[in-house]
Amino acid sequence: MALLREVYEALEDIVGPDNITEEPATLDSYAYQWIAELVADGSKFLTRPEAVLLPGSTEEVQAIVKTCNRYKLKFHVYSTGWGPWAAAPTEGQILLDLRRMDRIVEIDEQNMFAVVEPYVMAGQLQAEAMKVGLNNHISGAGAGTSVLANAACFQGGGPDCIYFASPQDSTLAIEWVMPTGDILRTGSLGSDLGWFCAEGPGPSAQGVIRGALAGAGGWGVITKVAVRLVHWPGPSVMPIEGTVPAYNSTLPENLFRATFPAFPSWQAFADAVYKIYDSEIGYIAHRQFIMWGDELQAAFLKVVTDPTRQLCDLKELLEMPEIQQLTEEMRRNFQLILVGMTQRDLEYQQKVLDHILSETGGWNVALVDEPAMQRYVLLYMIKLCFKNLNFTASGSFLDTYNTIASPDVWASEEMETVKELMKKYAGRIVDAGEQAMGPLSGQAGGGISGWENFVFYDPQDPDSVKASMEVSDEGDKIKAEKGRPPGGMLLGLARGTHGDEEIRAKKLSKSPEYRWQRKLKEVLDPNGVGSGNYFWGAEPSKEGKK
Amino acid sequence: MAGEKDELIKIVGAENVINDPVTLDVYSKDHSFIPPRKPRMVVKPKSAGEVQGIVKWANHTRTPLVPVSSGLPHFRGDTVPSSEGAVIVDLSGMKRIIMMDRRNRVAIVEPGVTFSKLQPELAKEGLRLSMPLLPRTSKSVLGSVLEREPIMNPRYSWSLSEPLRCLETVMGNGDIYRTGELGGASMSTSTGQVATPMPLEEVLEKRREKQETALYQYGPGQFNYHKLISAAQGTMGIVTWASLRCEILPHVHRFFLVPSERLDNIIGFAYKLLRIRFHDEFLFLNSSNLASILGEGTEQIMGLREELPPWILIFRLAGRDIMPEEKVEFLEKDIGDIAQQCGVRPESAIPGARDGQVGEAVLNPSKEPYWKLCCKGGCQDIFFLTTLNRIPEFVTTMYSLAEAFKYSQSDIGVYIQPTHLGTSCHLEFSLPFDPGDGGEVAKVQGLFTKASEELGKQGAFFSRPYGIWADMEYSRNAEHTSLLRKLKRIFDPNSVLNPGKLCF
Amino acid sequence: MALEDYRATVKRCSRCSYCKWIPFAHVKSWRFAKGCPSIEFNKFQSYSASGRFAVSLSLLEGRISYTDGLLDIVFKCMLDGSCDVSCKVCRYDLEPVEVMRQLRFKLIDDGQFPPQDIPLIDNLRKEDNMMMKSKAERGKWAEGLDVKDLTQEEAEVAFHVGCRLCYDEELWRIPRTVVTLLRNAGIDVGIMGRDENCCGGRLCDMGYRGEFIKYAENNIEAWTTAGVKTVVTACSDGYHAFKRLYPAELDSKFEVLHITELLDRLIKEGKIKFSKTVPMTVTYHDPCHLGRRGEPYVPWSGEQKKIRGQVLVYEPRKPRNNGALGIYEPPRNVLRSIPGLELVEMERNREYAWCCGAGAGVMERYPDFSSLTAGERIEEASATGAEAIVSACPWCERNFIDVINDRGERMKVYDIVDLVREAL
Repeated sequence: MALLREVYEALEDIVGPDNITEEPATLDSYAYQWIAELVADGSKFLTRPEAVLLPGSTEEVQAIVKTCNRYKLKFHVYSTGWGPWAAAPTEGQILLDLRRMDRIVEIDEQNMFAVVEPYVMAGQLQAEAMKVGLNNHISGAGAGTSVLANAACFQGGGPDCIYFASPQDSTLAIEWVMPTGDILRTGSLGSDLGWFCAEGPGPSAQGVIRGALAGAGGWGVITKVAVRLVHWPGPSVMPIEGTVPAYNSTLPENLFRATFPAFPSWQAFADAVYKIYDSEIGYIAHRQFIMWGDELQAAFLKVVTDPTRQLCDLKELLEMPEIQQLTEEMRRNFQLILVGMTQRDLEYQQKVLDHILSETGGWNVALVDEPAMQRYVLLYMIKLCFKNLNFTASGSFLDTYNTIASPDVWASEEMETVKELMKKYAGRIVDAGEQAMGPLSGQAGGGISGWENFVFYDPQDPDSVKASMEVSDEGDKIKAEKGRPPGGMLLGLARGTHGDEEIRAKKLSKSPEYRWQRKLKEVLDPNGVGSGNYFWGAEPSKEGKK
Repeated sequence: MAGEKDELIKIVGAENVINDPVTLDVYSKDHSFIPPRKPRMVVKPKSAGEVQGIVKWANHTRTPLVPVSSGLPHFRGDTVPSSEGAVIVDLSGMKRIIMMDRRNRVAIVEPGVTFSKLQPELAKEGLRLSMPLLPRTSKSVLGSVLEREPIMNPRYSWSLSEPLRCLETVMGNGDIYRTGELGGASMSTSTGQVATPMPLEEVLEKRREKQETALYQYGPGQFNYHKLISAAQGTMGIVTWASLRCEILPHVHRFFLVPSERLDNIIGFAYKLLRIRFHDEFLFLNSSNLASILGEGTEQIMGLREELPPWILIFRLAGRDIMPEEKVEFLEKDIGDIAQQCGVRPESAIPGARDGQVGEAVLNPSKEPYWKLCCKGGCQDIFFLTTLNRIPEFVTTMYSLAEAFKYSQSDIGVYIQPTHLGTSCHLEFSLPFDPGDGGEVAKVQGLFTKASEELGKQGAFFSRPYGIWADMEYSRNAEHTSLLRKLKRIFDPNSVLNPGKLCF
Repeated sequence: MALEDYRATVKRCSRCSYCKWIPFAHVKSWRFAKGCPSIEFNKFQSYSASGRFAVSLSLLEGRISYTDGLLDIVFKCMLDGSCDVSCKVCRYDLEPVEVMRQLRFKLIDDGQFPPQDIPLIDNLRKEDNMMMKSKAERGKWAEGLDVKDLTQEEAEVAFHVGCRLCYDEELWRIPRTVVTLLRNAGIDVGIMGRDENCCGGRLCDMGYRGEFIKYAENNIEAWTTAGVKTVVTACSDGYHAFKRLYPAELDSKFEVLHITELLDRLIKEGKIKFSKTVPMTVTYHDPCHLGRRGEPYVPWSGEQKKIRGQVLVYEPRKPRNNGALGIYEPPRNVLRSIPGLELVEMERNREYAWCCGAGAGVMERYPDFSSLTAGERIEEASATGAEAIVSACPWCERNFIDVINDRGERMKVYDIVDLVREAL
């Protein structure tokens, strides 16, 4: 169903003929998505948009949105487009690709914040921030994600939240083209006083833009955001060495140290997390390499740090006694990057960590103190430049049994449940053991912890695809039986975003916030042109009745 | 009228419905210049259920409600009714500390809990709450936190709402709503349109079994309701409890004072410490404010003003749990190095303030009488947000306006509080005056109004827009104003919650 | 192999967008973080490697048919391989360049080519060159040079000049210098002169695999007849053709050297000595076909298997072709050995260098896009403060010269061979 010519021409007048297309091949490139196969009957293609536009400014975005209101045309929007929530959720929508809006508007070095447009990647901002001794939060999905999308449009947490704070906390003023086409500038920006304050006057409008989650492309267009930065005591450009892909970085030893604390029991693990919270050490704190599974993480580390190695080497590596020993040693470990603001600071943090390990019976896995591994891990965790390694094993991944709670959840029996669940499907998914990756804290200063447990599957193998969904659903079922909230985030998002109105409606009927969200949507998007992605879009009639 | 009182008595009990003239007079005004207005009644609920009953009654009778959590004295005008026939909902009787959890460093309190009550109880658990500067003894913790009063420790100010986490509120339409990880499906026993919340203690028990706590403040879902009722002056909801992120009580600490003749000389040093988070409590006071804090009685205060240096940067170094002495020791050494580079000297004592005296004062709520009233009996504050580097220009403006109004510069208290990890900065001018001196009152009122306007034009951001600041901010922020009004219609459709405040 | 053989591959794209950027580890600034000129200047997702994976799958599944728009997507790419390097930082099972090559082969086989190709292919068929010139003039660059004619004599080393250097008069100094350098170093070298044919490499990248094979066969036969053991070229396009494409398609066994490799060797052996200084600050541009696409060809036949359930592996071990083994240091060694010369690096260098914009038919088919790409590289070179940009491929150099002239910029353009000559 093509757009009416009148509508197409109105849009073309705004962005220019080079920045709008209906070319089917291009439209399909916007419909092709990671995990599309889960909800599109095995196809890699979700819904094709009617057209794709590339706006170049807030003014163009506003004009597009107003045009959509005039013609009651739904629009969806994305920055990098990584994930099924990036594709148009239903037929008859246009899609805005914001890649032309890619400026770093300013970096206020003294007051430690940056203002960016949608297509500034976390890695780009970091490179500029480091030049002035600053650093920015990078979401768990890595350096190639949009700073703005992480801050205001999706989820955005990551390994550094313990020090850098969650994206919600770090977001300052926002410029938002609302679904009506009006422009809201929040906080101090709305009073024309700059970007430094997110809140006020009075109630904070940021509360409408994002919550735990955000609009995911269906809630107007965020065109600029200011984000807080933190201090970076390292070099203005991180020196990179090594042969591709085993890049690494040598950082001053008196200020930087990567550690792999590991523990004899989950209780000791949990206790150590609390002690890390209490003693306020750590710049980046994450259970990261477990993404490859407790059975494979040691071997995988050997592969990725050696440019001559490949995945076929896993077999040989796993048979080596030293790798088997390392695998055992690393089972209950995480990555803790200590960064000293001064040399004394680092020395203190190292002593504290030693003390914590001694109190909990833990140890620092010696592997990380090998110079090459130290350099690799520092680069990896600071730049998060290798995050596509999530896909390395089999080409795609899902998650199951995700759990967010206090750190004591690590010491509950849930990790055993995760292992058993994964073992049940091993073979149809990668046989890797438990793959419970997660932050030591999703909040600054410590607070909630937990994991998303990865499921590596082959997206072009129908049985593997099926198995990944089964393990995600079974995980949810087990959690429900235990009275815990559902865990399989990605499958839930894919389903919630695309089709399956019933599941969405069921969810909506149970939880009171959706009623209020829908009211917000009705009032702030009266013509319903925001794409109806995610959970905003279900009709009131599908809500459960008392 | 009698009928309405009876209806309220049915909800809260006779002893909790008050309409004697003396009491009503007390609630009709405060220390601000907001015109006084008598409420019709004062009700004192003891539970969320009673609050809900009152709000539903208010919707039915179209009665304005004015929520009040803290005891006297009040200063901002937000507790003075702006509409005729208002009923004060005095929450100070809801004063339970519902939960304290050392391991997860969180506490849950009702609105009537004050800092004076809470801090000693938390201390028994090895915890404390990050505090604003010398709150009065009757100050409600939730009142402070919900109004985004800045805490003294910028490095715990990860957002301007800290230490607020989850909360329960009665919305303007009478619905009960819970936020953060205590909200969502877990709060309800029903699958219907209106959630029937499970009793909190039951929720907490169930959650403990699942290792869940009360720290994650965002959502649930895709909007942050707790942000919509922050700095709302009670216009968007009445909070009946909230969870608060606590600090660990330090084992070792030292306070340092950096005196300076000029503010510019210590701002650079301050930025360096803020940037690397080498501090706990961290604030600037001028001699006038510090004198009022340390002094007892007008004479002593005046004397201290002369003795103390014009500007004092105050910061604390603290060590907790593991190797606390080593922590303070290395911080002291490193800060010493930085201070030397900046040409300043942190001291433990300065003329007018002996070792430990300032720390003792700022770590506790104010003594009685409230420190701001010690000098002259009355006080009006002007405060707003900006960035630390701009503070000197605002100070200059304030001083020259004071001169124009023939208000003594040395009377002006200045409090500078870096917040949000140093990215923004709260600047507060205190203008003491004798409330019995009509001339002085008029002068201060004039100065207050003029200074608010000029500072606003200069770039002050009144993010907490009390009184005249509301008109100033909302008139230059049309889209935000429009949005707030829409939100008000959603969450308080009959506009029963403190109408007349903000832009409502 | 055909596009159909990559159906499983194109379903496994992460959609992570790494293909659009240089490896994130190497990002040093906002300005020079991009890796893919195609999406940078053509903007829509379909112009990235990931986008072309989607387009390939769409074509295979019959979701789309041939349109002008599709041709634009497929052919507006230099096959420079930046996407390949970045993708393979994490992915061990995807082949972006190979998929895009196969996509082109399919279109050309199906008779789908940009109309701009018609005069080019016509001329090629008649005159055996990619420069729209006559075969008769191919040997003019060598007039007056004393060098073996391989059509008449044998020699150990064949210096294959290439279409660009044979016909671009402004660049004739380069092959003439090469001949002089090699002869003075005692190398037994000959040229085909007028009878030299196109290497076919560019043609192959453009999608004309069948035509390419004809030229390859022809060249191999000519060298065999002339007793050649080693083929030397100063053109990176040619280097890539001889080093990778000839062995892959035709099992060619000649030693292949780029002139920079040979010069590096000769300098180390003392057979080339410098007596003058060249006081200049230069920056070196890595040609794609010498660098990341210039890795040694290692034949492989094996299979993809799964271990540990679903981990995709190759048995036997498959060459990664991820840019690790490209020719990066020999040209730099040569430059560093020139007295007085200061070498400064651009932010994007070696396996993650930004393309010059000339490759895979883009210069011929889409001159504006080609020029924009070159212009971006010149901006990057200027940002180093260097007076000159030096490269090791005449296609790169021509593109840089043209864009510098168009924009009135002052940067000079040299081939490495020029600077060697200056220092002798």
